[in-house]
Amino acid sequence: MGLVTSVRDYINRMLQDISGMKVLILDPETVSNVSIVYSQSELLQKEVFLVEMIDSISASNESMSHLKAVYLVRPTSENVQKLRYQLANPRFGEYHLFFSNLLKDTQIHILADSDEHEVVQQVQEFYADFVAGDPYHFTLNMASNHLYMLPAVVDPSGLQRYSDRVVDGIAAVFLALKRRPVIRYQRTSDTAKRIAQETAKLMYQQESGLFDFRRTESSPLLLVIDRRDDPVTPLLNQWTYQAMVHELIGLQDNKVDLRAIGSLPKDQQVEVVLSSEQDAFFKSNMYENFGDIGMNIKRMVDDFQQVAKSNQNIQTVEDMARFVDNYPEYKKMQGNVSKHVTLVTEMSKLVEARKLMLVSQTEQDLACNGGQGAAYEAVTDLLNNESVSDIDRLRLVMLYALRYEKENPVQLMQLFNKLASRSPKYKQGLVQFLLKQAGVEKRTGDLFGNRDLLNIARNMARGLKGVENVYTQHQPLLFQTMESITRGRLRDVDYPFVGDHFQQGRPQEVVIFMVGGTTYEESRCVALQNSTNSGIRFILGGTAVLNSKRFLMDLEEAQRISRSGSHMV
Amino acid sequence: MATRNRTTVYRKHRDACKSARAPLSDSFGGPVIEMVSGSFARSNHSSYAPLSTNDPGPSSSDDAFTIGLPPAWVDDSEEITFNIQKVRDKMGELAKAHSKALMPTFGDNRGDQRVVEMLTHEITDLLRKSEKRLHNLSTRGGPSQESNLRKNVQRSLATDLQSLSMELRRKQSTYLKRLQQQKEGQDGVDLEFNMNGKMSRLDEDEELGGMTVKLKEGQHVSAEREREIQQVLGSVNDLAQIMKDLSALVIDQGTIVDRIDYNIQNVSSSVEEGYKQLQKAERTQREGAMVKCATILLILCLIMIVLLILKNVLF
Repeated sequence: MGLVTSVRDYINRMLQDISGMKVLILDPETVSNVSIVYSQSELLQKEVFLVEMIDSISASNESMSHLKAVYLVRPTSENVQKLRYQLANPRFGEYHLFFSNLLKDTQIHILADSDEHEVVQQVQEFYADFVAGDPYHFTLNMASNHLYMLPAVVDPSGLQRYSDRVVDGIAAVFLALKRRPVIRYQRTSDTAKRIAQETAKLMYQQESGLFDFRRTESSPLLLVIDRRDDPVTPLLNQWTYQAMVHELIGLQDNKVDLRAIGSLPKDQQVEVVLSSEQDAFFKSNMYENFGDIGMNIKRMVDDFQQVAKSNQNIQTVEDMARFVDNYPEYKKMQGNVSKHVTLVTEMSKLVEARKLMLVSQTEQDLACNGGQGAAYEAVTDLLNNESVSDIDRLRLVMLYALRYEKENPVQLMQLFNKLASRSPKYKQGLVQFLLKQAGVEKRTGDLFGNRDLLNIARNMARGLKGVENVYTQHQPLLFQTMESITRGRLRDVDYPFVGDHFQQGRPQEVVIFMVGGTTYEESRCVALQNSTNSGIRFILGGTAVLNSKRFLMDLEEAQRISRSGSHMV
Repeated sequence: MATRNRTTVYRKHRDACKSARAPLSDSFGGPVIEMVSGSFARSNHSSYAPLSTNDPGPSSSDDAFTIGLPPAWVDDSEEITFNIQKVRDKMGELAKAHSKALMPTFGDNRGDQRVVEMLTHEITDLLRKSEKRLHNLSTRGGPSQESNLRKNVQRSLATDLQSLSMELRRKQSTYLKRLQQQKEGQDGVDLEFNMNGKMSRLDEDEELGGMTVKLKEGQHVSAEREREIQQVLGSVNDLAQIMKDLSALVIDQGTIVDRIDYNIQNVSSSVEEGYKQLQKAERTQREGAMVKCATILLILCLIMIVLLILKNVLF
């Protein structure tokens, strides 16, 4: 069962037993959780005629006692305080409280204390505490994502909050799946270790009754890894539909905000929805590369033009009747076609303006193929090229630095200087900071396929065979990790078990949580792996969904804090 | 899909808190009786008070929580829901009537056709009435939670009405098609039957005469069929009109307008916009030319009065 179905089931169950007109009250986080899986028209069918945020309930004094209030909020102390006030001054006839994670007993006491009018009919925990964008990909949309890069001493309370939120999210996922996993973590990451240990404590000690599910033959596996083990994937430019939209424009909760581009005519749609559940064309094209998408869109436009022409050819009354019958379908098709055409047009413009085909070729070479000298030449050329934007220059230098960190330090230094001179907004030392965080000493996995003899051989074979598409030749490190799990060869040395956990044989369900964020390229990898029917179902989750802009922002923020910290010392 | 019910724990605490509060007010005597009677009233739902949308609400009484009657527009929406249910029932009947009317019979099935016509008219009337009522749900005035609620109720009912109209249209068009097939078939059958039946007769004149009579009868039947088809077409056009009106209200599924978070954002932003417009309007009014003229006139009047007084005093 996918994650989208789980959250939808929670919402259905929440609403089905309550009859009459309802108002659904959400907080800023559950709004994303609900909006991404449930549409407004479906809510209307369930007689939910009003949706409000928990803040705006207190702001108004209108009494609507003919409505029943259904709350779906996170059990944070702020929400409990707001609820206290709202229960003491009730505006609605009945109150049904659903919390998206575990409630503490003290919170229940506080709520019960303020419910003088006894309007609360039920208090339940429905664990929909994650954003399920695709069936096998979830995110927690966390704001201060950069904290995982900093040592604990810098901001202990912030890191504790970060870790708590992650543990809550992972717990919610497993409660929704009704499983209790065996937990492994990446040895080299302190944050991953901490999160793994706290999750184990929650599932096996603090709430062991709640997590005591029916045992299947093999326990599922939770693997907590760190983004810094694969810093290459978020830095690369993407060429498959979903990943490309996120990289070039930005995809938030399956919505695209075209205002960021700023070149649209006034009457065009400013925000569009890209959801694989609701859009059949997107579902079949989200993992295709740019060239194939272009062809498929052209086909879709041709089909649509056929329909439009036949619609204009109305001669008999029968034709008229048929036109009115098919009008909703026609309108929907028109909206869909215009949406995809707009997106692809905008992305083509950006590719053209930023010379991304040139830049991306070099990026892919840096990520996949060898040859330090040639790489240096290519990067220098692009740094000198005027039409390459600052962020692309930064990415190229970073990729080069990650790959050739130890080879030819002189040339590396030259690249740093050139970058600093070319990009006025470049924050000094950002590349060095990245190397300190995610350099070759810090990484566990074989990112460039040049450590393990087997990997080197594989790379050579691939180079000889040639690749289908130069722009999509990169495989994220996650692919190798998943292969190791499938073969049962994930090394204990690199990914130890928590406590005295142990796994017999291969797991059948694996949840991989990446602290620091996932990318759509990795979610594509997981979806393709799942479709090969290897007997193992993979689910991927992270603290955020990264594109290169977001990853660089987190790096800059972490660098700023660590600098100010070192000044204080 | 795991869930955990905390209601029992919650209720236990709530009762504990209530009993902790009650002995405190024992020393005052009066409030205890009020609270008891309040809870009694609540359990009997006996404290009803008609509530309009602009009422400040139960903030005045803090002992018994009065449950108010819903506002007037809820009656409209309930009536529309009731109509929709009636339409659904009638559609079932109509399907049966259609199949009966289409069955090939020897006599003319005018009775069945009347039934079909009547049912179709009733359903179209119900739909039209419901649609008019639907417009009553539209709100005037600025955006507020209540108006949002009404808009959403309106949307949901519009979606239901639209799907019902479409179903009716589809049923009617299949009925039409089948009728037309039958019409052609029947004329053909008539002629064939005549050919076969009368061929045995040797009298050609009689045969011809018989055939002309049959032809005329056949024409009469087809003229009637034409009329019926026109009537059905008429109701199809009516429905098309209703659908056009409704489609303005219905949400397109899968678009940005169908997203919950988009709708929440829009409400807050439109409220802000409205507030800004109000402020601007206030400012323009204050700085308006009219206001300036009025002020100048007032000052001039005052000066004249002062001069008048001075004139009287001095002279």
